[in-house]
Amino acid sequence: MQFSQNAVLSCQILAAHPLRTLLSIAGIVVGVGAVVLMVAVGQGAEQRILDRIGRMGSNLITVNAAPARLMIGRYRTVATVTTLTARDARAISEDCPHVVAAVPAVYKSLVVHWEGRNTTTTVIGMGADGFRVRSIPLAAGRPFEAEDDRLRKRVAVIGQTVARNIFGAADPVGQDIRIGRVIFEVIGAARLRGTDATGMDQDDVVFVPLDTAMRRLLNVPYIQTIYVQAGSSGWMDRVERDVRELLRERQRLSEGHPDTFTIQNQHTLIKTEQDTARAMTLLIGSVAGIALLVGGVGIMAVMLMAVRERTREIGLRRALGARPRDIRVQFLVEAALLAGSGGLLGLGIGIGAAVAAARLGGWNAAISWSAAALALACSMTVGVVFGLYPALRASRLEPIQALKFE
Amino acid sequence: MIELENLTKHYAKGTVVTEALRDVSFRVERGEFVAIMGTSGSGKTTLMNILGGLDTQTSGTYRLDGLDMARATDDELSGIRNRKIGFVFQQFYLLDRADALKNVMLPLIYADGTGDAAARAGQALAAVGLAARTHHHPAELSGGEQQRVAIARALVTDPVILLADEPTGNLDARNGLEVLAIFQRLHREGRTIVMITHDPAVAEHARRLIVLKDGRIAGDQPVSHQRDAHAELGRTAGDASGAEPR
Repeated sequence: MQFSQNAVLSCQILAAHPLRTLLSIAGIVVGVGAVVLMVAVGQGAEQRILDRIGRMGSNLITVNAAPARLMIGRYRTVATVTTLTARDARAISEDCPHVVAAVPAVYKSLVVHWEGRNTTTTVIGMGADGFRVRSIPLAAGRPFEAEDDRLRKRVAVIGQTVARNIFGAADPVGQDIRIGRVIFEVIGAARLRGTDATGMDQDDVVFVPLDTAMRRLLNVPYIQTIYVQAGSSGWMDRVERDVRELLRERQRLSEGHPDTFTIQNQHTLIKTEQDTARAMTLLIGSVAGIALLVGGVGIMAVMLMAVRERTREIGLRRALGARPRDIRVQFLVEAALLAGSGGLLGLGIGIGAAVAAARLGGWNAAISWSAAALALACSMTVGVVFGLYPALRASRLEPIQALKFE
Repeated sequence: MIELENLTKHYAKGTVVTEALRDVSFRVERGEFVAIMGTSGSGKTTLMNILGGLDTQTSGTYRLDGLDMARATDDELSGIRNRKIGFVFQQFYLLDRADALKNVMLPLIYADGTGDAAARAGQALAAVGLAARTHHHPAELSGGEQQRVAIARALVTDPVILLADEPTGNLDARNGLEVLAIFQRLHREGRTIVMITHDPAVAEHARRLIVLKDGRIAGDQPVSHQRDAHAELGRTAGDASGAEPR
């Protein structure tokens, strides 16, 4: 009780110099505020990217029929390579353990026509289980099935962007569209999926059965992509290794020869993303550390001033029975209170700014309470550390000299 | 209560050694009201600091309530100041931002097992006639009232001795008399009081007078004609011209 009364007294003394108190904690306010805001923005962005990666399908490994080359800071597959076939996909699903499905796919940019309107879009020919493997839910109609694929039926499932571009408000299901020179019946419309991890519009597509695409539309014997789904996320790396080994064997690549294909592991993608986020967090952390350090110097300056101003009070307290330890604790508590209030203020400002930024940017504000608590604890610690020297000076004052101090 | 034997105090400043106290010996018994009088430079402030446990002697012994003060550690001295000594200073030394009650409670912060601190502080304020001023801040009180708050603060820990250093030095005659009247009442109630002053008129309110000169005791005798502060207050109240009794 007496301790808390002393703390109340300390607060009153701090509140008596509002401007000075505010200036002294400015560094801490900015530091903590920046951390909360940056972490919220960073986590919000990370969440969006992870959502996009997740939208590709779960436990997905993508095999592309071309070696990747680094171009302008990005991996791109170059040229058309004709080494991958639908039989490779079948081999993967039959020979590799822990593989749930291996879906072959081809794609090409083609013009789609309907009643005098047309749009250029990506036509994807894929196995029927691609809808499940790549998490493509339908908004209307039905997906094509393995039977449609086997009979090379001319049926199509269209993405929302295509639907909007050529059908407008009309119901696309049941309509006949022309892709190239071939007439297809629209049997379904995919649900809106948004952009993928690379920023591609995943709704500007038309899905058709693989065999229909290969024989009737593109007239090619090879495929471009195999989507491999692993049994669980724990098997991803194992499946990637198995698929690479199998494909190299099937293509008779000698040891040391580079892959003629590229394997993209969803896990690796997520990990890369998380590594980037972690590096960002580290950067934010060090910036915050510097801000807190500067804030600590501000606290130290004000506490030294306070000790000087209150020398007679210190002398009085010593005369009335305060031990050096009591004086030390009092000034440490004041420094911690000062820094803590700065931390709280920064927290409020940071959360407010994060919520405002989220509303402007149209994403969910990911306020990290653990980061907020950490920032608050750090600011209190800074207060204690930088308050230590002033507190020691206060506790070492001789009572008589302190009482006589003018 | 207080036993001083051959107490000396030297201050060394460079190569010059000042002897503030030389061979001072006296005893103060429980219930006494002693004035220690001297001009500035007589060593009375040094004596006050040593008696209050704020300073230590160069040689000789000082026992307070049977305790050898020279053997106490810094922390023990803090405890002794807290429990056994009640200080009243010339400049009052109240905390501006705390009200009268909080000021009186201040020593209890550093005491252990004090029970209801606010109740004790309230009683101490009532004992100096300030029950109605409990929540006034020092700036709202007259000088005399401020010194009475300081006396309440000195009494709140129920110390064995009240040490007052020029308690009327910053007060006008009337307020000074009020403070002295409180001391005389506390003395009648059995308190042990040691008051340091340079003013013979103030000193004559005590029962015994010790005179310090150049660090030595130049006189130690009972006050022959003790003044009665209460009666003097009555006279000033009756005197329309408000003549100074000092």
